[in-house]
Amino acid sequence: MDINVLGMPLAVLGAALAALLAGIGSAIGVGMGGQAAAGVVTEDPGKFGKVLILQLLPGTQGIYGLLIAFMTLSNIGVLGTPKEVTFAQGLMYLFAGILMGVAGLISAKWQARASVSGISLLAKRPDQFGKAMIFPAMVETYAVLALLVSLLCVANIGNIAI
Amino acid sequence: MAVLPMQHIRIYALKENRKAILELLQRRGAVEITDPKISSSLFQKMDTSTAQSTFEKSAATAQQALEAVLALAPEKGGLLKMLEGRRSLSLEDYENRVKEREEISKIASRIVLLQKEIGDQKAEIVRLQTQIEALTPWYALDISMRVKETKNARVFIGIFPQEYTEAGLKEAIAKADSSLSVPVCEIVSSLNQQTCTFLMCKKSEGEAMETAIRSLGFSYPQNPSKVPPKKRQEILQERVEKAEAIIRKDEEEILSYQDQTDRLRFLADYYTMRTDKYAVLGRLAQSPHTFLVTGYVVKEEAPALQKELEENYQAFVELSDPGKKEDVPVKLKNNGFSSPVEPVLEGYSMPGRGEVDPCSVMAIFYYVLFGMMLSDAGYGLIMVLGCGWVLHKYRRSMESGLRKTLTMFLYSGISTTFWGVMFGGYFGNAIPMIAQTFFHTNVAIAPLWFDPVSDPMRLLVFSLLLGVIHLFAGLGMQFYQLAKQHKWADAIYDVVFWYLLVGGLIVYMLSTPLVTGMLALTFLLPENVGLVGAVLAGIGAVGIIATSGRSSRSFGKRLLKGLYGLYGISSWLSDVLSYSRLLALGLATGVIANVFNQMGAMAGDGIIGAIFFAVVFVIGHVLNIAINLLGAYVHTNRLQYVEFFGKFYEGGGRKFSPFSIKTKFFTIKEEQ
Repeated sequence: MDINVLGMPLAVLGAALAALLAGIGSAIGVGMGGQAAAGVVTEDPGKFGKVLILQLLPGTQGIYGLLIAFMTLSNIGVLGTPKEVTFAQGLMYLFAGILMGVAGLISAKWQARASVSGISLLAKRPDQFGKAMIFPAMVETYAVLALLVSLLCVANIGNIAI
Repeated sequence: MAVLPMQHIRIYALKENRKAILELLQRRGAVEITDPKISSSLFQKMDTSTAQSTFEKSAATAQQALEAVLALAPEKGGLLKMLEGRRSLSLEDYENRVKEREEISKIASRIVLLQKEIGDQKAEIVRLQTQIEALTPWYALDISMRVKETKNARVFIGIFPQEYTEAGLKEAIAKADSSLSVPVCEIVSSLNQQTCTFLMCKKSEGEAMETAIRSLGFSYPQNPSKVPPKKRQEILQERVEKAEAIIRKDEEEILSYQDQTDRLRFLADYYTMRTDKYAVLGRLAQSPHTFLVTGYVVKEEAPALQKELEENYQAFVELSDPGKKEDVPVKLKNNGFSSPVEPVLEGYSMPGRGEVDPCSVMAIFYYVLFGMMLSDAGYGLIMVLGCGWVLHKYRRSMESGLRKTLTMFLYSGISTTFWGVMFGGYFGNAIPMIAQTFFHTNVAIAPLWFDPVSDPMRLLVFSLLLGVIHLFAGLGMQFYQLAKQHKWADAIYDVVFWYLLVGGLIVYMLSTPLVTGMLALTFLLPENVGLVGAVLAGIGAVGIIATSGRSSRSFGKRLLKGLYGLYGISSWLSDVLSYSRLLALGLATGVIANVFNQMGAMAGDGIIGAIFFAVVFVIGHVLNIAINLLGAYVHTNRLQYVEFFGKFYEGGGRKFSPFSIKTKFFTIKEEQ
């Protein structure tokens, strides 16, 4: 069997893992934020808009995962005309996908913790919204960096002829 | 861009003008009241806490009454109403309304009373219904539940915690005490693990029977009804209806005050204002015939206020500049371009002592960075139109904070449109997609600059470059700040050396093929230029090592602190890399928009395809705008707060909060 037949499935696995893991992370994160936010809104419905923003902060990892998945699928031609993907290229797409997936999963969870704390900060000191927003945003940096590396991989793997 | 200079103000006036002066100050909202330092026993402070709490209560009553009316007759246009802001009243209108306050207060109290009665009746209904529920299993019983005995017999009406049939119960009793004769037994109901029974036995066996059935868990019902249960239920039901009628009547009465909501709002505001006024009154120094107000006032507004007070209210006003170490409140003044980012600055902190107002520099970067992160001409246009429309519609009455924020989004929208045109994003790739799917032609709007999806490296380099410019601007602000305080040495040590080090390093790196190759740059600086860069960087590094520890005396400590200072270069690396989020977020917007377009096009062409496309397009892009708008907002703020402010800004200032009208619904317009 030609080993290169596995190229495409591996690449799709990479795309799937990026969307799956990062999506799980964001789902957990946004869920945690939602619980805390609902608690604050029971006391003061006027804070809805602000806590909603804090709740949504860990949601971006899922989008980054989707982004990598989509770019992978588009580059290997699952969307559009299928292209030749060698075994080595498939593995590379897989690694790039895992990178985004795992970094997204873990960073979303921890970002959610910062978000939840930010929501309780907001409950006590509504004027400190700017700061409450920055703490979770600090965590996001690492998801952004993972996205960056993953993105550069996915964009260039097609040009590497191995 | 400026932090407005403040002055101390001291107003000495006669007590007979106290009310007028305080009301004037409150309407003007120009003076932040401070506690006067008085050593003389002639001046005393008045205790106004009782009056304050009375007014607070009145305001709360009005508010409660308003809510009661609104709960029954909600007003339309919730969210847009919020945008509208407070209504402004003329002074004359205000005076007229104040005259009605007794009357409205009565209405408010009446509504609150009615509301309380409704609450009581509702609780009563719940109580009655629980009773009815408890009676339900007893409906089949046609005598009073309180019957204990007849002339010759003992009667037990009660509950077993188990489901029995008549035969089963008789058997259980016989088992419990075999000496007993079989009682008369009637099962009233047997449901849900409990059996309601009517038992009758000879009087002589009464005690033995009670012991026997007690051992089976028999108990008397908790609220036995005196009349037959069914009848009792009818009585209770009647009471429920009566309570409901009262509630209906009360609600109708509350509804009849529907046209009073406006006046109730005024009442709530009026008493809030009076509470504030009395809080200030309690802080004034007062002698038998005079009083003294002290506070801060914006310097440029001071002379006009002084003139007005002295001419119209026979007051004596003294103005003086505050001392250098004083904790002076901060008020910012910016032009139309940079004032919209003031709320962002406030979200971090107001400028501390000796710091400049960074709004004008920040504003330029804010709009640029925001636009790059969203970077879609379609989305930008929606932002511009949406914010523009709201700003125009409510231009008269909108609160200034909200107005600033919306203007900020308006300008960011313009920038978003600009970057969208540069990168060729119009709702993602909607235009070529529509052309291809429905008209089978290839239309493409070429990006004015380049397409980031196909050339992400180029955008990354540009993002990092923008980052370096932003950070250097921050460092420049530090220089300006230090120069303003004439700390020239510090300016050289903390700013110029860093410029040399970072700038030199960048120049040097651009002359090495390794770096330019990595960043896919098309140019390479000549070697000798790189050498100059390296030398400059070296000078900067040596300077930093030599001066970072200048606060320490011992040489060893200085050197260590200096080396640690040089280690700060690592933070520069992470700061610059942080700007890669411009690429990440920009791409995220575009690619997700493309995903939605592609999904929409899946149903093919024709009418059904077009409808499907339209639905997916609207839902998808609304979602994408919402998510990415949030992302762009959060991350632009982050770049400002962490990277930019990290270079020069500490904050810690206190916002100027003048004695003013802090109402919810109305403002009072001063005739000029």
